Amino acid sequence: MIEFNDITKFFISGTVRTDVLKGVTFKVNKGEFAAIMAPSGTGKTTLLNVLGCLMKASSGSYLFEDQDIETLNDDQLSEIRNKKIGFVFQTFNLLERTSALDNVLLPLVYADVYPADAVKKAGRLIESVGLKERINYKPSELSGGQQQRVAIARALISDPAVILADEPTGNLDANSAKEIMEIFKTLHKEGRTILVVTHDINIARSAERIIYLKDGKVEKEEVLR
Amino acid sequence: MKIMRIAGVSVNTIFKHKMRAFLIILAIVVGIATLTVVVALTQGMNKQIMKQIQNFGPDAIVLHSGGGKIRGPSTASEANLTKKDISDIENIDGVKLVTSFQVALDAPIKYGNKFTTSWVWGVEPNWKDAWRRGASKGEFITDSDNEQLSKVCVIGQSAAKELFGDANPIGENILIENVSFQVVGILEKRGLSPVGTDFDNLILIPFTTASRRLMNQPMYISTARVIVRNPSQVEAVAGQIKEVLRENHRLAATEEDDFRLSTPGQVSEMVKSASKTLKLFLWLVAVISPLVGGIVLMNIMLMAVSERKREIGLRRAMGAKKKHIIFQFLAESIMLTFSGGVIGVGTGIVIAFLIKLSGKPISVTWQSFAIAFIFSTLIGLFFGIYPAKKAAALDPATALSQK
Repeated sequence: MIEFNDITKFFISGTVRTDVLKGVTFKVNKGEFAAIMAPSGTGKTTLLNVLGCLMKASSGSYLFEDQDIETLNDDQLSEIRNKKIGFVFQTFNLLERTSALDNVLLPLVYADVYPADAVKKAGRLIESVGLKERINYKPSELSGGQQQRVAIARALISDPAVILADEPTGNLDANSAKEIMEIFKTLHKEGRTILVVTHDINIARSAERIIYLKDGKVEKEEVLR
Repeated sequence: MKIMRIAGVSVNTIFKHKMRAFLIILAIVVGIATLTVVVALTQGMNKQIMKQIQNFGPDAIVLHSGGGKIRGPSTASEANLTKKDISDIENIDGVKLVTSFQVALDAPIKYGNKFTTSWVWGVEPNWKDAWRRGASKGEFITDSDNEQLSKVCVIGQSAAKELFGDANPIGENILIENVSFQVVGILEKRGLSPVGTDFDNLILIPFTTASRRLMNQPMYISTARVIVRNPSQVEAVAGQIKEVLRENHRLAATEEDDFRLSTPGQVSEMVKSASKTLKLFLWLVAVISPLVGGIVLMNIMLMAVSERKREIGLRRAMGAKKKHIIFQFLAESIMLTFSGGVIGVGTGIVIAFLIKLSGKPISVTWQSFAIAFIFSTLIGLFFGIYPAKKAAALDPATALSQK
């Protein structure tokens, strides 16, 4: 499903070269719930950007559903992001002054095929994350946990191959965090592939397998269940 | 359709940022309103010029004594056209009629204790056919007036107003150069000549009376107006007149003409060149002010792009391609400028009508609408493309991480 082979990424600022990823190799299988445990300063953000096709690696190969991501152009990367990846961000990243429903529908604005029942589907997803009554609420009228649930519904709208969550509970209180992780577990049971990147070991422990990242490399992997 | 969904995003954004939209639209309204007013003004001016040329007559040639450049009409003192010249011109193919007249500029006119100056023209009865202008009241100059050297006159309405106020001048006697003339008629109103002189401040007297009693020019004729049968032949007939006169006046090939011919073409050239500077200035104002609106648009949109980096990053993460972002921002710009264009044209037309009420020549036509709409859309495109491209060029990962 996701195959990282010796991925490196460096940045050049002036004459200084900073190596952030120094040969990352791991796999995530279809239907798996995996966590990447990455303390801050270990290249977590860069790894996420490469994983999310927002940025290309400097070297190595990234296979996404057997497709070599490194050979794709900007438009093709956009299509992968649109169809195959459901993003869930730490800061939710909902559009302000825009209803929950319209936020959930956002990826479909750029989809080639607009499902006839898109609004119905968005409604079902919002209902499934427990926000049926708040479908027309704007982000400023929702709590953090509720905003993140809208974001999860948005990530699901285009039936992506993988849900890529970046520190999804980082801005939430303990209760909301627990609820969000329950939603991920449920989604996993429904057969979805989920990859959570976090620095919080308690969050990582919800997954089936933890990939430990340290100093730009995979340090070890731990299978939990 | 995807394009409609993205256009919908643009519409929503406009409604979510009302102040920003208002400022951009305001800037465009000012520019397009100015443009509309100027287009209306220039068209009004053109219409007036056309009317003035119509006044001159599309089928008329005016023949002046004396050479050189076009100045005012030739007066009796410089007359050098002969009766033979006139009858030769009458014989040119395509000439309908020729009327000769003597002109004295700014002759002193007196009635009782009222005093004014006016152009005095000695004319033949066919003057009224040549100018399509007769007496609106009373009589015109007749053949017998000319035969008997009568001291009668037909008075223009400005001159009449000056001397008689609202009283009826017919039957009264006025002094022209201290010679007493009886007013027999009032001339039809005509307004301004192509060069802007008052065509109603003139007094007509019989040609012979003018030549022999008033202007002391019994031999020569100062001016003649030639009417051709077909307006399209005006220039050709003018050329033939020139040949006839050069021959009659025995001018060698190296000598310049000792007469001048005014054709409608020349008159319109003259009037157009007189209004050229003003028009140029107006157009400059008209083009610059929408451009200023465009610069305002670009500024505000650039600010919007940097304010909305995170949103752009999010849209890119959700699968928007660069062209989608460009389209979204460009559509926003064009919708705003087009709305500004619509309101601007409306405002401009209201202003144009207010100007019209004050008596200025102004003409609102479909061209005003077309120019304003096309111009406002082009401004949206031209000044919107840079911010839109800037938005699309943002690196999605960096844009998404903006706080």
